Amino acid sequence: MIKYDILITGIGGQGVISLGTVLKLAAIHEGFTVIGAERRGGAQREGVVTSNVRYRGPDKGETLDERAMATSGLIPVAGADMMIAMEPLEALRHAQYLNENSVVIVNDFPLMPVSVKIGEHDYPDRTVIYSRLREFTEHIYPFDIDNLSRERFNSLRQVNTISLGIASALGELPVSEKSLLLIIKEEFPDFATNRRAFQLGRETAQKA
Amino acid sequence: MKSLASKEADTIILAMGNDAIVRGGLEAGIGYFSTYPGTPASEIGEGFASLRSVFPHLHTEFSVNEHVAAHGAQGASWAQVRSMTAMKHVGMNVAAEVLHFAGYTGVGAGFVIVIGSDPGATSSTSEQDDRWYSLHTHLPVLEPASIQEAKDFTVQAFDLSERYNLPVILNAPSKLCHNIGSLRLGSLPERFPAHGTFHRNPTRYVNLFAGSVANHRRALESVGKLSEDIPSLAVNRILPGAGPVGFISSSINYLSLIEALSLLGLQEAPMLKIGMSYPLNRNQVLSFIRSLQRVYIVEDLEGFLEFQIKGMLYDTDTRVPIIGKEIFPDYGELDVDSITALLADELKRELPAQMKRSRSLAEKLTTDIPPRQGSFCIGCPHRSTLYAIVKATERNVIFAGDIGCYTLSCLPPFRAFDWVTCMNCGVGIAQGMLQKLDGDAVLAYVGDSTLFHSGLPNLINAVEQHANLVLVILDNKWVAMTGHQPTPTTAQTVTGEPCKPIDLRGLLRSIGITFIRTINPHNIKASIVAIKDALRAGEGVRVIIADQECALQQERRGKLTPSTSEVYYQIDPERCQKCNECYVEYGCPAIRKVEQETDFYYYIEEVACTRCGACHDLCLNSAIVRTEIRRMTG
Repeated sequence: MIKYDILITGIGGQGVISLGTVLKLAAIHEGFTVIGAERRGGAQREGVVTSNVRYRGPDKGETLDERAMATSGLIPVAGADMMIAMEPLEALRHAQYLNENSVVIVNDFPLMPVSVKIGEHDYPDRTVIYSRLREFTEHIYPFDIDNLSRERFNSLRQVNTISLGIASALGELPVSEKSLLLIIKEEFPDFATNRRAFQLGRETAQKA
Repeated sequence: MKSLASKEADTIILAMGNDAIVRGGLEAGIGYFSTYPGTPASEIGEGFASLRSVFPHLHTEFSVNEHVAAHGAQGASWAQVRSMTAMKHVGMNVAAEVLHFAGYTGVGAGFVIVIGSDPGATSSTSEQDDRWYSLHTHLPVLEPASIQEAKDFTVQAFDLSERYNLPVILNAPSKLCHNIGSLRLGSLPERFPAHGTFHRNPTRYVNLFAGSVANHRRALESVGKLSEDIPSLAVNRILPGAGPVGFISSSINYLSLIEALSLLGLQEAPMLKIGMSYPLNRNQVLSFIRSLQRVYIVEDLEGFLEFQIKGMLYDTDTRVPIIGKEIFPDYGELDVDSITALLADELKRELPAQMKRSRSLAEKLTTDIPPRQGSFCIGCPHRSTLYAIVKATERNVIFAGDIGCYTLSCLPPFRAFDWVTCMNCGVGIAQGMLQKLDGDAVLAYVGDSTLFHSGLPNLINAVEQHANLVLVILDNKWVAMTGHQPTPTTAQTVTGEPCKPIDLRGLLRSIGITFIRTINPHNIKASIVAIKDALRAGEGVRVIIADQECALQQERRGKLTPSTSEVYYQIDPERCQKCNECYVEYGCPAIRKVEQETDFYYYIEEVACTRCGACHDLCLNSAIVRTEIRRMTG
């Protein structure tokens, strides 16, 4: 059966929710089931946001009963096949959802929490973050996606599309590259730029 | 993508649990919807409001509170038009008076009440379980488990409401309201009701003295009849299985339970899936239980199903061990992880190896990392108001907190919030406390929407009782925290047409308040002076109106109307003394710190800055420079 769970994490305003929406719409387009809760914490901005994307469906010729298809909104501990973290600390915060085979894509651009700004906590060194993540799974892929977007498109607006390109190249997503591009075309303005951003993501991933 | 309003039945769309409830209302042909917005149910009102142009006969309103919203929906139902009202769980406390009568009188057309519950208090100040209300309101409760059931049960709720002459409650927790996934649409009715009619019926609607006793009896009889009919209504179902241990669950916990059992290698266990948690059908429940040696009940909070089911066992002298709240906590939110761990312990099963490994790694490697709490948005007027309050009071006052975006003042850097419980706990608690304090200064907060919700009686009482307090009304013109629904101070209607907002100053004057100052909170220095004046004024209720629209809404409109000049704020590194006033004390997220080898500097991220100008006004070293570039026009 199709069974693939993606956990997207980040901070309010980083596009976590819209990333999840594109990945979900692609499943509807391809005709299988998708489910997954959004969690926005208790805050408007700067708080932790997660989106769960859980793909389910029968393989060709397979029939699945109610128990096989039963899926709650939240990915269980060790259940994520892929994590897309829009911020390094948020990857580590949600590391319990990873298992040995999880693929982790991290936007290597730290954003300081208020607790760090006011001096109550220190932001951990990124080498520490990544070495800790590697204890969960060896498939850790940090990219400075913010910087990539800024350099190539002079804007942060392409961060999400670049991330989707990277995800489609590094993970074994049940949705095709073609479906993702189709949804990006429907959901985001300026398809020409976004197609280039998606491609940039794929190229970046292939170099990793 | 196909939308919620699609006429194509059997189409599959991507929908949030709340959207599914909207679609259910449409498929049931409702003509009236009212709500006071509250997370996790607020998108239901948003959904109906967004469809007004497609369904012009559907009345949608953001009422001033849940009591008013529930009465309104009852009125439409009595006019023979199907109606719905939605609220968050604590809204039920406000609507409770209305809904304790609604079962007695019965309905005209179908009347459905949607409750967005919040086990785990992910967006609330409490996690009360509203299902318990039904033991005395006698209103049936449906608990959908999935996005699909959220729609299907909504449609069914209207049929049940009319068939049994009772309003019906649909209870959906936040983990379902905010679940987003596949939804198969049903068909829409050909026509929606434009008008209804009211048929006089004093025996039912004049709910007085002996008449109310007769209505009470009728409501109980209706619930009794419904209870008997449950097996034929297909709201509950049994998943047959093998083994002596069975499970009963409802809501999305049912799906979590199946996942948990599968992780523990118990996927064959028999299950009773409850779709209607009040009333239950005794025969259905007992025949399931009697086929087993032990039964676990998996539900959030205090154990409403367990309470009812254990009563049935006592009444029938049935002796099968029922285990619920003995192992599942009666607080917080259950999920696959907690259910798996608790059942593994109870049933002496091994946790899956990967789960065990990740859990122990996480305990070792992720518990010492900095927390990330929310803060006000960039350009938020509340940040400026709070900064001015902290400067003016030096925190030497009692801060009477309340519910809204400004509740974030309890977090750093402001920490100027001494309590928060329910709506209008600020002035309400303060005015009583002041009667027994010895001259302490009290500053209370309230937002525009919270004030209109239930604040006016508190405020009138405070004036009548001569409470000496400063009330800051954070008037940002919207119910911002729940996604920007209009309030009485909003200059536009639910459909976006301009309207005349309420005269807030006039209203305050009319109840006897004489000290009223309006500030633009982004003018920090002037705001500090005004707050100091109010504190010094000494007597009675003094009001500061922090009058500035929510920055997110301003930004949305700003995109539509390009300005004739461009303004930039920049930090001059020569002048900046790194005093941290803007970066830490004011805490605007658009001000960023860049670490270098031996030094660091601050800058304002131009893309993020909303040009509110507050940092420019508060900088003690005049290091934040404003540049205006006029565009050539014509």
